[in-house]
Amino acid sequence: MTSTLKTIREKAGNLLAGGLADGVLCLGRDRFNVVQPRLFRKAEEVGSLEIEPKWNLAKLAMQTLRSAEKSFRLTVVCRGCDERALLELVKRNQIDAFRMTILSYTCGREQAEACLCARPYPENSAAGEKIEGVDPFGDPRFASLLAEDDQERMARWTGLLSRCLKCYGCRNACPICVCTPCKLEDDLWVERSAVPAEMIPYHLIRAFHLSDTCVACGACQDACPVGIPLLALQLVMRRSLKEKYGYEAGLEADRKSPLLMDFDHASPAGLTLPAWTVSSEAPHER
Amino acid sequence: MNAQEIVDKTTRGTPRVLVFACRWCALVGADAAGRGKADLPASFRVIPVECAAMVEPDSVLRAYAGGADGVAVLGCHLGGCRFNDANHVALKRMEALGDLLDTVGIGRRRLLLSFGTAHEGRQFAEVLGTFFRELTPLPSLEGWRKTLLNQPSFR
Amino acid sequence: MPGVIAILCRCCGQIEPEVDLQALRERIGREAGVVSVEVLDSLCLPEDGAAIVQAVESSGADRILLAACSPYGKAGDVVSALCARGIDRSRVRLIDIREGCAWIHRGDRTGATAKACDLLCMGLGFLQYGGCSTDAVVAVRPECLVAGAGSAGLAAAVSIARAGFQVHLVERAAEGGGMLRLISRVYPTDVEAAEKLRPYLEEVERNPRIVFHPKTRVVSATGFAGDFKVRLASATGDVNVRVGAVILATGAGVWLPRGLYRYGELKEVLTLMELERRQREGKTAAKRSVFIQCAGARCPERPYCATMCCPSSIKNAVLFRKADPDAEVTILHRDIMTPGHILERYYRSALDAGVRFIRFDPAQPPVVSGDGHVEHVEVFDAISGVKREIETDQVILSTPLVANTDNAKLAELFHVPLDGYGFFREDYPLHPLETRQGGIFICGSARWPVSSTEAATQGEGAAMKALAILGREKLSARSMSRLPEGKLGHARIEDSSCSGCGNCVAVCPYEACTLQRMGGAFVSRANKMRCRACGSCTAVCPNGTVQMPEHNARAVGAMIRRAFAEGDAG
Repeated sequence: MTSTLKTIREKAGNLLAGGLADGVLCLGRDRFNVVQPRLFRKAEEVGSLEIEPKWNLAKLAMQTLRSAEKSFRLTVVCRGCDERALLELVKRNQIDAFRMTILSYTCGREQAEACLCARPYPENSAAGEKIEGVDPFGDPRFASLLAEDDQERMARWTGLLSRCLKCYGCRNACPICVCTPCKLEDDLWVERSAVPAEMIPYHLIRAFHLSDTCVACGACQDACPVGIPLLALQLVMRRSLKEKYGYEAGLEADRKSPLLMDFDHASPAGLTLPAWTVSSEAPHER
Repeated sequence: MNAQEIVDKTTRGTPRVLVFACRWCALVGADAAGRGKADLPASFRVIPVECAAMVEPDSVLRAYAGGADGVAVLGCHLGGCRFNDANHVALKRMEALGDLLDTVGIGRRRLLLSFGTAHEGRQFAEVLGTFFRELTPLPSLEGWRKTLLNQPSFR
Repeated sequence: MPGVIAILCRCCGQIEPEVDLQALRERIGREAGVVSVEVLDSLCLPEDGAAIVQAVESSGADRILLAACSPYGKAGDVVSALCARGIDRSRVRLIDIREGCAWIHRGDRTGATAKACDLLCMGLGFLQYGGCSTDAVVAVRPECLVAGAGSAGLAAAVSIARAGFQVHLVERAAEGGGMLRLISRVYPTDVEAAEKLRPYLEEVERNPRIVFHPKTRVVSATGFAGDFKVRLASATGDVNVRVGAVILATGAGVWLPRGLYRYGELKEVLTLMELERRQREGKTAAKRSVFIQCAGARCPERPYCATMCCPSSIKNAVLFRKADPDAEVTILHRDIMTPGHILERYYRSALDAGVRFIRFDPAQPPVVSGDGHVEHVEVFDAISGVKREIETDQVILSTPLVANTDNAKLAELFHVPLDGYGFFREDYPLHPLETRQGGIFICGSARWPVSSTEAATQGEGAAMKALAILGREKLSARSMSRLPEGKLGHARIEDSSCSGCGNCVAVCPYEACTLQRMGGAFVSRANKMRCRACGSCTAVCPNGTVQMPEHNARAVGAMIRRAFAEGDAG
C-alpha cells in the first residue's frame, strides 16, 4: 500500500469518525474485488477505500449532493483534475461549496504521462508529492495530431471522429457537461439519427462549449469506447486563453471566463484592444 | 480516403460565405456597397443580427456544416458598440473558435472577423472581396462534407 | 390555417435585369406555408402601398414576406407603415434583393436569382419561428435621487424640484456646496464662491420638494428606470427611497502632489486648494509667487488635462496683482488651456494685469530651490531658449482633479461603469450624461473635471434627461431603448432548462440577468426593463435556455439551413 493511500484512508476515517463529514466519496473495493465509486459513511469502512485507478468523481459528487438532504456534508477524495472540475462546478452554481470539502492527492509520473497532464496535482494536496507536469505540446503523440497543414489535420480528425458511435459517453463523463436538456440531443443542432455523430455539429459544438471551462481531466477520452483523443480538441483553446488572458479553467475561484467580459474587465493586466480590425491582419501562429 | 483524394473530389466554384452582419454598422456597410454598385460574387448570404455578440459560435459551426466554405462575423468598431463593448466579447469568442477550427484543420482563415466596416461600402466590398480571394485556393468544405464531415453513415 | 404572403417589389424595373422575378415568384409559390405571392411595381408609392394592405387582407395571411430594396431606405418605411397599422414587427420580414443582391451581382443573373431565392427562403424560415416578446409596463415613481450636493447636484435638484417633482438630495458632508465650499472666488467673474452657492442653498432650504439628506451615504440600490429602490444610511438611521431616476453628481477629489516640486518638504509650496483656503481665511498673499501648471497632470499616471487648473491659476494670479500692484506673479506652463472667448479674454486680462507667463517643456520641468524655505525656481524658457531663475516667496502647484474615492462603490451599487481614471463612464458617443443603465445619469466633475459653471450646466442637462422619465406615468420595457421604434424584444428564460450557470449574468452589459433561488438550485431571471436586446446572453447560454423570441435559435437555424439551398444547384 502506498503512503498516499495510507494517508487518505487515515484522513477519511478521521473525518467520518469525528463527524466532520457525513460521507466520503471515493473509490472502494467491494467484496467481489471490484473497484468502483463508493460513498463511505462510517470510519470503519475506510479499509476498503482505494485511490486507483483514475476515476473522475466530480459529477458524482454533484449528483450525490443533489440527492442528499440539505444538511449533508460531503468530502470528495480527488486528484488535481477532479479538484479543478469541482471548482468549475462551484463557479457554475452546480455545487454549494459550503456543503463540500476536498481531500486531494497528487498523481504519480506514470499517470501524468498517460494523461499528458500539465498539472498532475491539486492546489493543496493532503497526500503525495507534487511532481512536474508534462507539456502535451511537447509530446510526440499530441504534437502529431496538430502537425502539418490544414488538409492533413482535417483528414486525420475526420478519420478519428468517424469512429464515433454517438454513445454520448464523452458528454456523460465530462464533469462540466451538466445541461438538461443538452443541445447535443436537440434536433435543431445535432441530427438525432445520425451515427457516427456528425463531426461539426456534435464534436465541435461540444468542444467549443467547453472552451473556457474544460479542466483537462481527460474523462471524455477515458470514457470513449473507440479511443478518440477528445482532450486534444481542447488544448489549443486552453493554451490561447492562458497566453492571452492569463486564465486557466479550474484554477480561478474569483474570476469568470474572459470570454464573458469586455476588454476592460477581461484581464488583470489590463489587456488593450487588438490593433487589427480585420482578422486576416491579425498576427497569430499555431 | 486520404486528404488528397478528398481535395481532388471537390468541384471548385466560388466559395460560399455566410455573413453575420450587425445591423448598426456592418449591415449599413453592406447596404452602402449596394448603393455604390460594388461588384461581388453572388455566393454569399447575409444574416442581419442585432449585435455581433449575438452570433452564437454554434451557429457558425452549423453554417460550416450546412454549406458555407467561409463565415464572416462583422460588427461595429471596437470602441463603438452601441451595446457597450458587447463586440469585445464577440471578438474574443470568435478568436477562441478560430483556435478550435485550427485544431481540426478547418482553419481560422475560414472565419473572418471584421470590426471596422462601419457604414463604409467600399470597405465592406474590400473586406469581403479579400475573404473570397483567401478562400478560393482552399478546398471547398463541400468535398469534406459529402464524405466525412457530417453525412451520416450506418455501419 | 394562416400562412405567409410573399410580396415582391419590382422597384420599377431596377431589380429585373439581374434577378429573374418570374422564377422567384414560381419558386416561392411552391414553398409550404406560402398562401399567396404578389408582384408589385413599387411598394413605396401610395397606390402600391394600398395594394399591399389589400393583398394581405384578402389572402388571409398572418405573416408577410417582403422582397424589395434596403431596410434603410423606402422599404424600411413601408415596414414601419405596416407596423403602424397594428401588425407586429415580428410578423413582417423584409428581404433586400436590390442593394443586397441585384445591384452587386450585375452580370450574374443565375447567381443573383439563386441568391434571391435563398434569401427569400431564409426569410420564410425566419418567419416560421420568429416570436414576439411580451412587454412589461411599470409605473414610474415621480421622485428623483441626486447623489452629491455640489454645483452639479444642486443645479440638478433645483431643476427637478421646480419642474414639480420630489428630489432626494444626498450629501456625505454636513452641508451642501461641494468644492465651492473650499474655494474663495469663482472664475471668470471673480464672484465669491459662497455668493454663487447662496441661491441654490436657499432653494434647498425653502423648496418643500427638495428633501436634503446631509451626512448620508447610499448603501444599496436595486431596480430599474422608473423604479429604483435605494437605501440611504446616516448616523440617525437608514431611509429607504423609491425613485424613478438617479443622478450621480458626486464630484471629483483633490490630489496631493507629494514629492513633486518639494511639496511637503518646503512649507511655501502649496496646492491651489490650499491657496484657496488661505484666500477664504483672508490671509495676505505673498509678495512674489510662482504658479506651476500641469503639476501631476498630463503625465503617464494621469495623461489628461483637468481643464480648470489654468483658469484657476489665472484667477488667483490676477487677484494677487489687483491686491498689490507690486506683486510679482509668474505662471510657468506647458500650454494655457482657456478655451472659448470668455476664457480667452480672461487670459488676456491676466497679461494686461502684469502676470508673467513662461512656457516650459515637460522634458525639462522647473526646479524649486531653497534651503529650509523656498528661494527661487529655475525654469528653462522653452520659447526664448533661456534659463531663468525666478526669486519667489511661494510656489503654487496647479494640480488636477482626480476621481472621487466614492465612485467605485457607487459604480458597484448602481451597476454603472467607470472609465480608466475612475470617473463615471458616459454612454459615448451619442448619449451625453447617460450611463449604461437606463435612468441613471451623471453630471459635473463626477463625469469629468469641469468648472462649477459647467457642472451646473451639466446638472441641468441631467435633470432634463431625468425629467423625461419622471414626467411619464408609465414606462414600457419596449421603450427602454434609444431606437424610435423601441428595442427589438427582450431576453426570455425558460425556467425548466436553466441550470443556473450564470453565464448570462456575467456577459450582460446591462446586468439585466440575476440568479434567483428556486428550490435548491439557481435559475436566471432577465429584467425586461434593463434588457436592451443585444443578444449577448443568447450566445453564451450552453443549452439555449435564454432566447430572444424575435431572433431565436430556431429562426436563425432555419435561415442557416436554407442559406445555400438554391446555390447548391448552381
